[in-house]
Amino acid sequence: MNTSTTSRRSGTTRRQFLAGTGALGALGLSLPALLAACGGGDSGGADSLFFENWPLYIDPTEGATLGTVDRFMEATGVKMTYTEAYNDNNEYFAKIQPLLGAGKSIEPDVIAPTFWLAGRLLALGWLEKLPLDKIPNAVNLEPSMQNPTWDPTGEYSLPWQAGMAGVAYNIDVTGRELKSVEDLFDPAFKGKIGMLTEMRDTIGLIMLGLGKDPSTVTSFDDAAGAFDKLDKAKSDGQIRAFTGNDYTDDLVSGNFAACVGWSGDVLQLQKDSPHVRFVIPEEGGTSWADVMVVPKGAKNTDAVAKWMNFVYDPAQAAQLSAYVQYVSPVKGVQEELAKIDPDLAANPLMFPDETTSARLRSWATLTEEVEAEFDAAFSRITGA
Amino acid sequence: MNTTLLVPARQRVGRNADRVGLGALIVASTCLVALGAGWVGGAFRPVVVLVLVAVVVGLLVLVAIGGPQARRLLAPYGLLQPGILWLALFFLAPVWSLLRISLSTKPSRFSVDYTFSWAFENYTTAFRDFGKQFEHAFVYAAVATVLTVLIGYPLAYVIAFRGGKYKNILLGLVVIPFFTSYLIRTIAWSTILADRGPTVAILHNVGLVRLFEVLHIMNNGQLLNTPAAVIGGLTYNFLPFMLLPIYVSLEKIDTNLVNAANDLYSSSVRAFRKIVLPLSIPGVFAGTLLTFIPAAGDFVNAQFLGSPNTTMIGNSIQDQFLKQNNYPVASAMAAVLMVSIASLVLIYTRLFGTGDLA
Repeated sequence: MNTSTTSRRSGTTRRQFLAGTGALGALGLSLPALLAACGGGDSGGADSLFFENWPLYIDPTEGATLGTVDRFMEATGVKMTYTEAYNDNNEYFAKIQPLLGAGKSIEPDVIAPTFWLAGRLLALGWLEKLPLDKIPNAVNLEPSMQNPTWDPTGEYSLPWQAGMAGVAYNIDVTGRELKSVEDLFDPAFKGKIGMLTEMRDTIGLIMLGLGKDPSTVTSFDDAAGAFDKLDKAKSDGQIRAFTGNDYTDDLVSGNFAACVGWSGDVLQLQKDSPHVRFVIPEEGGTSWADVMVVPKGAKNTDAVAKWMNFVYDPAQAAQLSAYVQYVSPVKGVQEELAKIDPDLAANPLMFPDETTSARLRSWATLTEEVEAEFDAAFSRITGA
Repeated sequence: MNTTLLVPARQRVGRNADRVGLGALIVASTCLVALGAGWVGGAFRPVVVLVLVAVVVGLLVLVAIGGPQARRLLAPYGLLQPGILWLALFFLAPVWSLLRISLSTKPSRFSVDYTFSWAFENYTTAFRDFGKQFEHAFVYAAVATVLTVLIGYPLAYVIAFRGGKYKNILLGLVVIPFFTSYLIRTIAWSTILADRGPTVAILHNVGLVRLFEVLHIMNNGQLLNTPAAVIGGLTYNFLPFMLLPIYVSLEKIDTNLVNAANDLYSSSVRAFRKIVLPLSIPGVFAGTLLTFIPAAGDFVNAQFLGSPNTTMIGNSIQDQFLKQNNYPVASAMAAVLMVSIASLVLIYTRLFGTGDLA
């Protein structure tokens, strides 16, 4: 303190001060380079793995019962990071696009986008081939899910879970069981309806309600009626919010009387909140799959292979299914699950029987121009 | 001999010091804008950095050898340098790059590059598709600003003149909630005001729902999901930015002036109107700027307290940037928002501005 006060008065101060400023400036210029040199070295090492997934999509460790991640780490010694930062396909795509588009790698080694986004990533050349020779359990993939149209050779993706979109509702608020898409437009629920920002599920369900089939869509005109209906419901104040996977909070708290929801989420929520229900509407529901893919430039492909092999073991997959209650893509899970929980093994929302499957529709693959048209129309309605 | 030769050289530097300093400032800030806006890439980057360093070092050398006169003239430029460079890198460069992207097009839908093409249609899209959101932003922000004055002024007045020894505690009570994150506080409101939350239940039991519906505070039995909820959130979140500047200007007022007015048979209302109010106007002015500008660009309150029909322009900009990946249109919207706020503030300053802003 003393030195600085005296030097402020002496003749050399200004020069010293300016020299100091110059030195600081030089430091400032070199600092970014230093920082750049320091960054980017994380999560290296052959034995680590980073999986970025949707919320409510894995069994956590509860007391003495180890969750899938912990069982995997125990069995293989791989140090795994599992995050739930994936809330919305478009949002996540926007996040990774600047990096992958510029030829840089992103942090996660595995992500689980919905099938249509995985198809887009593949078409853009932003995915690595899976090391299938190191994943012997990949043979356990359900035949109906093998070689989808957007990944015809099946070399780039393995499904994580599949499921359906239908009507989720909070019976404390609705006061009655719901069974139709039309219930979402019931004026009694004005301002209490949630819709997903996932265009295919929201529009798909409304289309089914209008008697249109999303699995045969080829142009925007096929779905125009559904867009109009959604737009009108929004203007009328019927819709409270357009949400990503975070719809679950509003559904449980009762801010939503009903919303478009995903089967397994609601089944999981029922454990603590028996007043939330899920139904495949009588007009039909949409079915989808979220698939594990490896983004271009991912470092830990060996650990990825170990992970995929682990979760494609029916015994492991059954424990996962017992918690997440989605449709498992792994053959033999139903038999394994029957040993743990026979009720779940008989649940048609997890193991759709013929009548259930017949009511489900999976979206057609849209050409890029048509998809652009759909997305633009949808974002004009969701507005935010 | 040596000294006589050196003197003219010094004088030369001394005479031109102003021009040298100004030139150095311009060159250095251009370099930084170029770096920041990404005009230069690859091999040119180190060159520009070198030029920048050379200018700064050259200025320092000139100061060192230039003699007292040069030093005196150059010193202000040297002192300005850090501030100007900061502005160049963190204000001019981003604004330049924003304006550039707002006039660009994407070569393909998922491209990460933008081609500059004087694409004014981005601005047409911004106005055509998002007029409603612009309107919401300005109306909600304006109402919230007025409300913060109505709540903040009396509160600041009481704390400043009647607070006594509790002054600091009262100020602390105003500020302490704001130690919690902005986001957490807003989400907390959405829990407090939830349809099946305590507030709505109490209003139902007391029978105020009908009245609130008439006042447009509630809609359809809900407190959330309404313009009133968004405005309420903005008012709550920006109150301290209004209260604190008003408090500061009230606090400075010499109470003897009021006493003198009373001694001269002025009523206390008149004393307030003639003395306290005019002297506190600079605080109100600063407070309105601090409240209105961020409130007009806010998206958090509309996101958590509003509905799809109460979205503000901040929500749309966020959506276009972060979800639709439409940087050109998002930049155009951001530019329009900036220009509108800047013009409103300019007009406001002209009409009500005070020369001696506290």
